[in-house]
Amino acid sequence: MLAWRNLSRDPIRLLLSVAGVAVSIVLILLLVGYRSGIYAQASAYLDHASGSALVAERGVADFFGTTSTLEPRVVEQVASLPGVAAAVPIVTQFVVFEEHGRKDGMFLVGYDPEKGGGPWRLAAGREPATDEEIVLDGVAAGQHGIGLGDRIRILDRDLAVVGLSEDTTFWSGSMAFARIGALETLLRAPGLRSFLLVTPTPGASLPSLTTAVSSLGADLVPKSTLIANDRRLLARVYDAPIGLMVAIAFVIGILVVGLVIYTSTVERRREYGALKAIGAGNRALYRVVATQALIAALLGAGSGAVLAVVGERALMAWRPQFRVEIDAATVAVVLASSLLMAAIASLVPARALAGLEPAEVLRS
Amino acid sequence: MTTTLAIRGVTKQFGHGATSVEAVRGVGLSVESGEVLLIMGPSGSGKSTLLSIMGALLRPTAGTVTLNGVAISQLPERDLPPVRLREFGFVFQDFNLLAALSALENVALVAELTGTARAEALRRAGELLTELGLAERVAFLPDQLSGGEKQRVAIARALINDPSVILADEPTANLDSSNGHEIMRTLRAVAKERGRSVVIVSHDQRIRDIADRVVWLEDGQLRDLMTMAVDPVCGMSVEHDRAVTLEQGGELRFFCSRGCRAEFLGELDGPAETRPARTGPLASLFQAVRPKTP
Repeated sequence: MLAWRNLSRDPIRLLLSVAGVAVSIVLILLLVGYRSGIYAQASAYLDHASGSALVAERGVADFFGTTSTLEPRVVEQVASLPGVAAAVPIVTQFVVFEEHGRKDGMFLVGYDPEKGGGPWRLAAGREPATDEEIVLDGVAAGQHGIGLGDRIRILDRDLAVVGLSEDTTFWSGSMAFARIGALETLLRAPGLRSFLLVTPTPGASLPSLTTAVSSLGADLVPKSTLIANDRRLLARVYDAPIGLMVAIAFVIGILVVGLVIYTSTVERRREYGALKAIGAGNRALYRVVATQALIAALLGAGSGAVLAVVGERALMAWRPQFRVEIDAATVAVVLASSLLMAAIASLVPARALAGLEPAEVLRS
Repeated sequence: MTTTLAIRGVTKQFGHGATSVEAVRGVGLSVESGEVLLIMGPSGSGKSTLLSIMGALLRPTAGTVTLNGVAISQLPERDLPPVRLREFGFVFQDFNLLAALSALENVALVAELTGTARAEALRRAGELLTELGLAERVAFLPDQLSGGEKQRVAIARALINDPSVILADEPTANLDSSNGHEIMRTLRAVAKERGRSVVIVSHDQRIRDIADRVVWLEDGQLRDLMTMAVDPVCGMSVEHDRAVTLEQGGELRFFCSRGCRAEFLGELDGPAETRPARTGPLASLFQAVRPKTP
């Protein structure tokens, strides 16, 4: 009660401290959500593609970071291996796409619409029916002012845009889908296959299948391994700066709460001194200070969480290529971390109280 | 009367070496239950230091402080807060009420610190404040109270845990004469009606009359002790040297004024003042100090 009364006695200061913590929490949640969004975008293709493992060129352990080329005999023989229910070939290539003077990264996926491996959700249009057609990411198309029926130039060929896909932007650009034949022509590599999306038969032994694929001169890599390796690759780029910014935001939150509680404690030094003289122990006084910090931190964190969710939606509506994923677990972790924020923030005021001599109150 | 608080050979030294200061030097003193002891002295004489030592707020450099037979000056620091909480009631010069809490909550909080349930603490606080004439002010914040009211809240706060000793540091310093006297009478009533020992530190000469005993502290040492007597008419304490006296039947009586002596001798006539009936241990006090309605 005393803690709340002390805080609410100065509503402007309370409001400022709550706002400070809220800004810090918004920043933390948006940054963490942005990181989650990047990871989700990076694994979106594999999450939606058929099969549970991919056959890749020997030594290839990630999907986005390297180029894989399978020998034709591997492609032919994997499909007939015992334990393989389906092996869907795809061709992948990262290219730089330029339109209207603007360059963007584009991850081209060549696939057979009859077998799968293409876009999993179309916002408009249809899948490519010929090697002269392409499906672009809807957000990227919008940024370039490209619509259905427009023709775009990729490498040295013109392709007609017949579909716009959803959920296919990623950290360094967007995905585009064409028939395998189109990519063979674009890359001047007839018969090129990058990966096989493998669906094992029910009950098939993955280790046996791995051995069998290995004997053909390729690797069978579980999707989960590829996703983890892609994330590791991204982590090298993103985790350090995002982690640093999250740490700074967290420290700012601690400083805001700490400063407010410390000034409030110093202002009430005589009152706390009187309480000590009356017989309140240090623990009782720490509890008052810690509760004040906790109230400020929790109010700030709660408001921050609400603002972050609003901010997430606003950001994604404004810049759809940025995917921000704030899930309940992240919010729970951040709210819990606000407890830590409060605990750290109350250390200095608690120290000030510990050093307070009760006899001081008798000296005017 | 029994000795509640006793100090023996108490010395308090601050600092070390050439810069050390002895604020209190070899002071010995005891306070009886129901006694009001006034410690007077000039600024810097060591009054507050002595009061701090008596209240277990400061540890003496030498000597012992005994409360109800227990040498509290020997207790480890961790054991002192409960002693301060339950055995001492403090009244400060500038009240030191918690600005964020109402009068009622300020008083109840101290009971809650002992583990008393909130409802019970509030009930007791309400009763005390009512006895002290603050029934209409319980919900007020300290900022909304007058100086005298604040000090009465502070007295209620000091009383709520029913301590053995009330220690008051310059309790009238921030009050006008009328409020100052009212507070001192309240403290005296606490001593006499509740049987508590009251130790007051002050340099306010106007409040000498409420004390049973006055000691003079100068340069950290006690000087001559003044003996006080109680006026049998108004109950005020008066110094023997300054009192109006009456020798009657071989007994010497001391009065604060000629008027009291005259009243004692039945020389004054007139109806007794009609006052509202009050209840509670401090009720008689408020019959005396409540301002008269015109």
